[in-house]
Amino acid sequence: MEKNKNEKSSTNRRNFLKLGLMSSVTAVAGASLISNLASEEELKASGEKVRLLTPDGKVVEVDATNINNYPEAHITPAEARKGIPNRKFVMVIDLAKCKNARKCVEGCQKGHKLDHGEEFMKVQLIQDNPEAEPYWFPKNCMHCDEPPCVTVCPTGATFKRDDNIVLVDTDRCIGCKFCITSCPYSARQFNWEHKAKYDDKSQPYSPETSVPGAEGTVIKCDFCPDMLRQGKLPHCAQSCPMGVIYFGDKNEDIVTNGEETVRFSQLIKDRAGYRHLEHLGTKPNVYYLPPVNKQFPLERGFDIDEEIIERYKDVPYVQELKKQGKL
Amino acid sequence: MKYNIFKHYLITSLIIVITFSFNGFAQELDASNYKMRFNFKTVKQADNSRLLEVEFIGQNKKDRKDKIPVADAEISFYNILNEEEVLLGTAKTSYEGIAKITVPNSQKYLIDDDGLINLIAKFEGSDAIDAEEDEISIKDLILELNLEEIDSVKTVLVKAFTIDSVGVKTPVEEADVIISIQGMLSKMKLKEEYIEDGEYEFEFPNDIPGNENGEITIFSIIEDNDDFGNVFQKKTVNWGTFNKQVKEEGNKLWSEAAPMWMYIVLTILLLGVWANYAYTISYLFKIKKEGKKITENKKQEI
Amino acid sequence: MNLTRRKSELVKEFSPMLEKTSTLSKIWIWSLVAIILVGAYALFLQIYEGQSVTGMRDNVVWGIYTVNFIFFLGMGYAGAFISSVLHFIKTPWKNSVSRIVEITTVLSIVIGPVFILLCIYRLDRLHYLFMYPRIQSPITWDVIAVITDLIGCILYLYLTFIPDLAILRDSDNLKVPKWKKKMYRYLAIGYQNTDEQKEKLHKITKTMSVIVIALAIVAYTILAWVFSLTLQPGWNSTIFAPYFIVSGLYTGVAVIILVMYLIRKHLKLEKHIRKVHFIFAGVILLILSLLFGYFTFSEYFPKWFSHKASDTNLLNTLFSNYFWMFIIANYGAVLLPLIIISFKKLRTIKLITLTAVIAIFCLWLNRYLIIIPTLETPYLPIQDTRPEYVHYTATWVEWALTFTGVAAFCLLFTLLIKFVPVIPMSGIIDNETDQNKKKRRFKKTITE
Repeated sequence: MEKNKNEKSSTNRRNFLKLGLMSSVTAVAGASLISNLASEEELKASGEKVRLLTPDGKVVEVDATNINNYPEAHITPAEARKGIPNRKFVMVIDLAKCKNARKCVEGCQKGHKLDHGEEFMKVQLIQDNPEAEPYWFPKNCMHCDEPPCVTVCPTGATFKRDDNIVLVDTDRCIGCKFCITSCPYSARQFNWEHKAKYDDKSQPYSPETSVPGAEGTVIKCDFCPDMLRQGKLPHCAQSCPMGVIYFGDKNEDIVTNGEETVRFSQLIKDRAGYRHLEHLGTKPNVYYLPPVNKQFPLERGFDIDEEIIERYKDVPYVQELKKQGKL
Repeated sequence: MKYNIFKHYLITSLIIVITFSFNGFAQELDASNYKMRFNFKTVKQADNSRLLEVEFIGQNKKDRKDKIPVADAEISFYNILNEEEVLLGTAKTSYEGIAKITVPNSQKYLIDDDGLINLIAKFEGSDAIDAEEDEISIKDLILELNLEEIDSVKTVLVKAFTIDSVGVKTPVEEADVIISIQGMLSKMKLKEEYIEDGEYEFEFPNDIPGNENGEITIFSIIEDNDDFGNVFQKKTVNWGTFNKQVKEEGNKLWSEAAPMWMYIVLTILLLGVWANYAYTISYLFKIKKEGKKITENKKQEI
Repeated sequence: MNLTRRKSELVKEFSPMLEKTSTLSKIWIWSLVAIILVGAYALFLQIYEGQSVTGMRDNVVWGIYTVNFIFFLGMGYAGAFISSVLHFIKTPWKNSVSRIVEITTVLSIVIGPVFILLCIYRLDRLHYLFMYPRIQSPITWDVIAVITDLIGCILYLYLTFIPDLAILRDSDNLKVPKWKKKMYRYLAIGYQNTDEQKEKLHKITKTMSVIVIALAIVAYTILAWVFSLTLQPGWNSTIFAPYFIVSGLYTGVAVIILVMYLIRKHLKLEKHIRKVHFIFAGVILLILSLLFGYFTFSEYFPKWFSHKASDTNLLNTLFSNYFWMFIIANYGAVLLPLIIISFKKLRTIKLITLTAVIAIFCLWLNRYLIIIPTLETPYLPIQDTRPEYVHYTATWVEWALTFTGVAAFCLLFTLLIKFVPVIPMSGIIDNETDQNKKKRRFKKTITE
């Protein structure tokens, strides 16, 4: 009887999460979920570790999947095609605040178990014209309203959902790469060979988490629907220390970067928000706020690995800096 | 590939063993390297229950950016008055270093002469980590939230007062009141106002969409107040202007099913061509039939 | 009686090709097999290790496999187009080349799609194309078009084979293995060359050739659309479909000239494949090269003139890293035929063939220039430190498989013309009877 009850409550919770109504749950419910999971102690290796202090004074590392995972809320590939009801997700990236801290990239890589070099979120250095100062340009998938990638997919492996999100179902993808060539934002990448991490089946595959990956399929930014269902921000927005990345639902007209919550329409209006490559007619759902009155000098962004700096060697500004020996 | 799987299992089992035995790799550091932060706060919630929460985190003495939560530590929450101690509950800290309990509305607190509730959170301490405790003294605040349409103006009415033991209401003299609404991922602040007479009237904007039913959950919040701690009240009202989006008409290039004309054109083209193939093959069979007849005739002649 | 004698004469003339394999052709066949074996090993590596053994990476996701795919399919569609057009021209000399054209067509339409399969990683999921089809995708159109076209071309080729197969079946003194004879008997479907059968065969061959012309245009247009329907600055062009068709036809004619030359030389068919064939094909080549030059110019000139940033970037790539390739491809494929074939004195068999060979090479480069520099120049600059992600270089695996494709083409061609004579015998007979009739009619009119 007791067991039955438990099962029932777990399916309830599952449906609850799937419906994406987690938003109305207070922090307490979230906490109880966490403690619940922790007590279940389903220790599975994922490679991601979190450090903790124990009451007996030791520093231990535990597996991250024990903390942030909701296995009972697994979204199957078929369910992932529907989307979270009545939502239209948008992202707003404030270019004035970005200093290339690369925390969004790292947070994303952690969340999606990506290797070095596999980046759903890339930070580019863009110089619009020779007179203009360059700016850091975080770029992920634009989740377009007229997605050219979805149009050309021969099997429906990539699809657009009602909540604006464009996802890839790697169970369906045949690896023809047509979508990669048709994306004007170079948002898509490909798994060119087999990797050991694809064999990790401790977490069932869902297009909403893009984990585990599959060899010979296309990968890209997924707007972290699994996090959204839990009422949390996508990994990138969560990990940005500057609050560059706002995320929210266009229907309720609210976006947040975790610290401040503002009206989406107001933000775009006040700060002259624009969409990248608007003239192509792809109608992106990622908006950018122009890099005016930058909060940090550009050079702050060069406080990174030599290898990453090398990426920007073709930007005229960087070449100039190098010539002056400032880099 | 096989080699990789094998390697992977090896790592997996290793990690499992290590995590179970709770003996991490990182033995170089232990609690002595960390300065403990023990923060206690209380939130009076909408149903008048009270949330007691402790955040227990170690901060590296050398590297201040290195903060790690203390997990699995038992925290006890007490209501005290002079020498009297009432245990309200205990909780263990989570992996995020947070322990919390919810005290129901029915709880009768011990109140001192100034009308204050004194609450204490305690960690008993262990061999490695010192005992910690933190105390809060707050007054029980009653926050009333009323949503009314006055002359078709959507108005949010907030009243904040305390009730003494005799039942006399005293309006709060000085407090910051925040009006916010619940979004999917967070609350959005609409207004923050300093009030002096315990009352506040706010004209609610007319252009907030709310959820798909036009419902908006409105909060009135008093935050980190020295006298009252955290108090909030919420109500849901049908003031939203959400327009349910009209279903997309017809199929798109990117939708699952294609626009109608594509099916029609493709069918016509294919039918045309394949019908021709069938026609050609049927003729080949006719030729074959004739050939058979001819050879049979020849045989008969012979 | 006269007809039967003529038939056995022809069989006798062509029988050495079918009966014997010279040492030279044995070496030829085995060296082709050797190339294919190397390719098989490369294929095994690619399947086992993944596509990381190729030069393809996140930016340049399509490499020379796609180049070969377009190249071979273009050749095939062009062949289909040409052979069907030949069907409608009433000249005696077309007979000698028609089978070469037909075989070229079918083989390249068989080999072309193999290259696109090499480009698709998850071949184990290929059936998803039919399980979950999305007909908005140009790839779906392409799959349908290639399959339809392949079947159409094979059917058409078979129709043209039937009379010859019947002749071979009826010639008893042909010394070929039993299985070959059995095949002749089976495939000739009791064709006896009666008037009725002849008329029927003629009728369906005619309709099929119309269909094949239409299909060639539609299928190659669709192939061009795979590229031009994307937003890539180098591909999103309105003239891509006719441009592809013209360059496909050009490739087709050039390859046919080369094959004609090799066959004539090796099988000693100087009597049948004559200079007039080369000159005619050469003139067609010249016309096509001019058209090709016109389209190439029309494709790039507006890009340069308009100064759109994305187009300018593409031209910068073309004129920096690909400068020599760009120059060679366009000069070789446009100016060379103009120089050689325009002058009567230079119109020798050897020079025409040489022009064709250079044109083939340049046209392949042209496809390369369409695919790779475009992918290396996306809208957003590539900012990456891994050189293989910035510039594409084909690896030995890709080259091995490319040459395997060419080798397979040659091998299959060699084997096919050991099965059926490369010059249609029935065509020769038809021509002769036609001429006799004309002569008789002529005599009649004179005597009357």
